[in-house]
Amino acid sequence: MESEGTDFFAATFSIEEEDHTLANSLRFFLNKNPHVAFCGYSMPHPSEELVNLRVQTTGKITAVQAVKAACEDLQQVCGHMRTTLAAAVTKYQAEQARDPAMR
Amino acid sequence: MYSRPSRNFRKPSIVIRTNEPDYMVFELKNTDVSAANALRRVMIAEVPTIAIDLVEMENNTTVLNDEFLAHRLGLLPLVSTEAVAWKRPFEWSSDADMIETAFALDVNCTVDGVMDVTSNDLIPLNPEHRVIPVNYQLDEKPIVICKMRRGQQLKLVARARKGIGKDHAKFIPVATAVFQYKPQITLSHSAMAEMTDDEKQAFVNSDPSKTFKFNPITRMIEVDNEESYMYDEECLVKARELGRPDLVTITQKQDHFIFRVEGTGVLRVADVVRQGIEILHKKCMDLEAGVQEALAVAKGQPLPVSAGG
Repeated sequence: MESEGTDFFAATFSIEEEDHTLANSLRFFLNKNPHVAFCGYSMPHPSEELVNLRVQTTGKITAVQAVKAACEDLQQVCGHMRTTLAAAVTKYQAEQARDPAMR
Repeated sequence: MYSRPSRNFRKPSIVIRTNEPDYMVFELKNTDVSAANALRRVMIAEVPTIAIDLVEMENNTTVLNDEFLAHRLGLLPLVSTEAVAWKRPFEWSSDADMIETAFALDVNCTVDGVMDVTSNDLIPLNPEHRVIPVNYQLDEKPIVICKMRRGQQLKLVARARKGIGKDHAKFIPVATAVFQYKPQITLSHSAMAEMTDDEKQAFVNSDPSKTFKFNPITRMIEVDNEESYMYDEECLVKARELGRPDLVTITQKQDHFIFRVEGTGVLRVADVVRQGIEILHKKCMDLEAGVQEALAVAKGQPLPVSAGG
């Protein structure tokens, strides 16, 4: 991955081998950040697995910090989903064992 | 670091409605559509499975040509619970890494009439690898690979490897993985009070998905199954026709999704969902590491030591 500008408050991140799966989720969490003035992503060509993520901040944090925060948010969501799913599966199996007729 | 927004999208909740080995319906709440879509995309394209990737033909006198048969063999679903422990061929680094297993197929038609070559005829050359075709040697009808007549032969060795849906559709672990927004249907009681029973029945009948029902005891329209609504707006057209445009309001709850995932027997569906979440998590971690690296390169500093490779 390459980025133009490191201590800058605006940067474009070229992410290789990624597509809408990660880019759209990151874009959402970046937009939730109150210090991000603009965030958007584009795919230059659908045959090439490359995503350009553009981040412009208000100046309180750098663009890199914004992206890292969004990554951490998404990781938190994933971690939480994982534990919740495991708990839900156990709960469902317990309910099935108690009452097999219940569907 | 910065104040969290009040609407917390970081603690999604999951409620399972149905969990069978090959079909799962669950609700995902308190998260954004981009996260739900990311999960759906990862479940389809990035959960690894095992499928036949290389076919060595020794003898083929059937009516189907070599590449046709190889294509069909690749699409056969193979039980992929071992896929987690395997490595992709390009990740191979030592003799201890598992990257492939082999199947032999040796069929000779000696009877009159049509003979089916099926998935039951594939013989695993390494049964200890525990990779077999789905429903192998069970009573259910096996998958037909090809049909032969007397005198035709088929002899080959097929090698199965680990892969993901992004590379080839044969590696997709699910038949479908879909989600819908939870519909919110609100009926106006004041509008209903001014309608006749016939008008109410006509309104209920106008919806082809049978979302509404007419309760003869209370003489009111009720929602029967909101999730069956197909957004064809026939009922809204009917409401306008009857002169009651405010009768029903149908919106979509933007943070509540209903997932329906159907498996192919290759993996348990609950495992597909779990692996999907783990793979999405790993992608984020890899991206964060990539950002660190790009930062170090741009500043001319030494690369950070990666914590997990």
